Amino acid sequence: MSRAVIVGSFFAVVSLVTACDPRSESAADTGGSAKGDIGAPQGEPIKAVLTSPPLVPPPPVNRKHPAKVIVELEVRELDLEISEGVKYTFWTFGGTVPGSFIRIRQGDTVEFHLKNHPDSKMPHNIDLHGVTGPGGGAASSFTAPGHESQFTFKALNQGLYIYHCATAPVGMHVANGMYGLILVEPPEGLSKVDREFYVVQGDFYTVGKYREKGYQPFDMQKAIDENPTYVLFNGAESALVGEKALKANVGETVRMYVGNGGPNLVSSFHVIGEIFDKLWFEGGTRFQENVQTTLIPAGGAAITEFKLEVPGTYVLVDHSIFRAFNKGALALLKVEGPENKAIYSGKEVDSTYLGDKAVSQAPVAAAAAAAVNGAPTQEQQVAAGGVLYNGTCSVCHQNNGEGLANVFPPLAGSDYLMKDKERAIGIVLNGLTGKVTVNGKPYDSVMPPMSQLTNDEIANILTYSMNSWGNQDGAVTPGEVAKVRALTKRPEGAAH
Amino acid sequence: MHAVMPAKAGIHVLALALSLAALPAAAGTDYRRIEGATFQSVLPEALDSKNVTIGRYQLASTPVTNAEFLAFVRAHPQWQRGRAAKLFVDEGYLRHWGGPAGLGSAVPQAPVVQVSWFAADAYCAAQGARLPTWHEWEWVAAADERVTDARQDPVWRQRILGWYAETGTALPRVGRGPANVHGVQDLHGLVWEWVEDFGAMMVSGDNREQGSDPDLMKFCGAGAMTMEQKENYAVMMRIAMLSSLKAAYTTANLGFRCAKDLP
Amino acid sequence: MNRLLSAVMPAKACPERRRRAGIQGLALALALGAGVAPATVPDDSLYQLAMPLTDQAGKPAALDLARGSPVLVTMFYGSCPHVCPMLVSTMQRFERELPEASRGRLRVLMVSLDPERDTPAKLAEVAARHGVDLRRWTLARAGPKDARRLAAALNIQYRQLPDGEFNHSTVITLLDAQGRIQKQTSSLLRLDPEFAAVLKAATRR
Repeated sequence: MSRAVIVGSFFAVVSLVTACDPRSESAADTGGSAKGDIGAPQGEPIKAVLTSPPLVPPPPVNRKHPAKVIVELEVRELDLEISEGVKYTFWTFGGTVPGSFIRIRQGDTVEFHLKNHPDSKMPHNIDLHGVTGPGGGAASSFTAPGHESQFTFKALNQGLYIYHCATAPVGMHVANGMYGLILVEPPEGLSKVDREFYVVQGDFYTVGKYREKGYQPFDMQKAIDENPTYVLFNGAESALVGEKALKANVGETVRMYVGNGGPNLVSSFHVIGEIFDKLWFEGGTRFQENVQTTLIPAGGAAITEFKLEVPGTYVLVDHSIFRAFNKGALALLKVEGPENKAIYSGKEVDSTYLGDKAVSQAPVAAAAAAAVNGAPTQEQQVAAGGVLYNGTCSVCHQNNGEGLANVFPPLAGSDYLMKDKERAIGIVLNGLTGKVTVNGKPYDSVMPPMSQLTNDEIANILTYSMNSWGNQDGAVTPGEVAKVRALTKRPEGAAH
Repeated sequence: MHAVMPAKAGIHVLALALSLAALPAAAGTDYRRIEGATFQSVLPEALDSKNVTIGRYQLASTPVTNAEFLAFVRAHPQWQRGRAAKLFVDEGYLRHWGGPAGLGSAVPQAPVVQVSWFAADAYCAAQGARLPTWHEWEWVAAADERVTDARQDPVWRQRILGWYAETGTALPRVGRGPANVHGVQDLHGLVWEWVEDFGAMMVSGDNREQGSDPDLMKFCGAGAMTMEQKENYAVMMRIAMLSSLKAAYTTANLGFRCAKDLP
Repeated sequence: MNRLLSAVMPAKACPERRRRAGIQGLALALALGAGVAPATVPDDSLYQLAMPLTDQAGKPAALDLARGSPVLVTMFYGSCPHVCPMLVSTMQRFERELPEASRGRLRVLMVSLDPERDTPAKLAEVAARHGVDLRRWTLARAGPKDARRLAAALNIQYRQLPDGEFNHSTVITLLDAQGRIQKQTSSLLRLDPEFAAVLKAATRR
């Protein structure tokens, strides 16, 4: 058979098959828990490496088969700083809020040991959202202080899952920080990235106000009313700022495993200055692309991935923005590396924009008062003139009097200005069109009339100009301006 | 010496038991008289009523102290640390004492902790007393300084929650808290306390299961009991604590006090 | 013997009463035979709880009546409508699964939670109703305090309800020849295969 026929038949068959398969429009699904069991564990049992936030354990790079993984997690009740000078009793998995990060693969069999430190007052247990089974493990892990429980589960579903304590009253245990993340990677593992971070948002409820110093107990009524005192990443206001900010470099691809422990609030997670190139919304299998802000439900998670192109400080926030700035839902990612102006230039122009008002009228008022009582001094004129100049004349002639090369003539060191006072007054009143030569350079432009300025204002502006930027001296009185105003004609459209 | 017939052995055991009831209590334990009551319990017994009725009884005004328990183990050496059987105590039994029959740096007037239910039960029996039942404990613990039932009072609840929140503080002496309206102290804010029927809390290890699907195969009779007054988290936490325990367990914050029948 | 007494009597009781009680206790020990010797029993054995029982024939017995053999222990009450009959039939099923030679080595002890109503006559009636083999099975009652202690040691939860019924969990425990807990199961509908396997091994010669 000819090759063309073979190829043609191949394509025909493929298109026939895909045309018939209703799922061809979207990628095949993972099969969920029905297909999650990929066989018995192989090899020696592995002791899971658990990390404290914001670090993430390294992936099992050389493992392609399901294994038995032993996880040992200890509950500790600790007094820690929630904000500077504010102490709070946290109940923790592994001594941190959020608790230790657990990383396994789909199909792994996990032998879970939950230990409750002898100093604990309360019993605790654990519900891992990645567990298929009663209570997510909670029914089998209820542990009195100074004791240990063990149960075993097989991870049938891949994804990023919250785990939390489920001992009554559950809301209180969660509000005290008893949550963390367990990552169940797909059988083939996730793609490699340059940096991985672990961040979990939570809401906290204290009897005292935000940042009220001292020891703060938990406030059950505020928790029931869903009125948090603090909304924080990783359990403390200072958790991810300053020295403890997340760090990365330009050119790196960053992946963030983000959770929301709640107990109550939903998070509008956003990184100021970055866009999520890939977002595994709700910690599931599919990703969306090019996302600015994502909703993370209470008791949920998300995986974000983005490449860093520009150095600077990026701010992780809950975009319900009062939480970021008034309750502490703020964390920093500091990125170092070379600038890239083509992507982001930084500030290019910084000039005054007064709208329709001068910045400060004080010197003007002083000069005006002086004018009423007698003539203002030259100093007063210069001061008032400066205020008026900036925002009016400076738009073209610049704050430094340099003008714009080939467009607007300079006033600084200007032979043209200093030569003829009456001419200068006339130009301000009536404008000037056409060729002039200033300091040996030709200019051919249009200056509009400024006759809307009063005689005092023009006098002050000109006095200012004649005493600034190297111009040696000069003074113009309102009377002189009045004279020129009376003797010359305004152009059409200008004020009188 | 009598020749005792086997058939009468049971009667003699009974006589022994009755004679014990008349013996004086250990010197120094102050018992308060508590009148019988009908009240709304967090653990009702019948599905159709929230109320529970208890008869009158006596309750110790403070928990058992290290000093009192020391006297007990000196008189009953089989209950000393190292000698008590593993069936009755776990590895933490009296670990805070200097030695099996000596307190070391443990404070004599602090409540004894690291004691199991069996040890507490034996202590009370040795005093001619017994552990209080959950309902007896719950009724007296519902009171504050002025009323017998302060459980709706947010101040009562917050005081209790405040104690749950503290960590790592050394145990103060018994008797420093205010006496409630029954004249009993330290029911809250000091230690968890064993009750006679701690093993009848009937709650699942996963506290979100609340009797919605009674597992008849596990629990004969009415099925797993539900917990009333779920907003009374202060009491809920106590039940959660008791239901996490086995009879041989000891913890650093778990002590007990005794009760006595009143005919 | 002294241990039994000291556990329940303060040291300060008047000497005469103590001596009288001691004599009665000694007689008791003699009457009960070699059952009461907790000092030689392992530290974690259930038989550390030395408690007197009365069996379905009204005879005195002791908790360690089956010492020397593997024994299935559970707690029940005679008026129990549904689950306790299932308890009995589950234990009978475990028995039937065993090879005949092994079956002869297994003992069964059922202790009542309800000593007030479960008189020997009532216990005998329950035994007859289920056709249990009284050569190896004993239905007994303990004193009320002892029932609570036994339940605590067996992880059995129970509470008496106002109408006289009991709310209780169902746990079947396998003790070894020395009284140590080897395995427990709560499963009544299906025979717990792990429990059955351990039971088979325990009753093998």
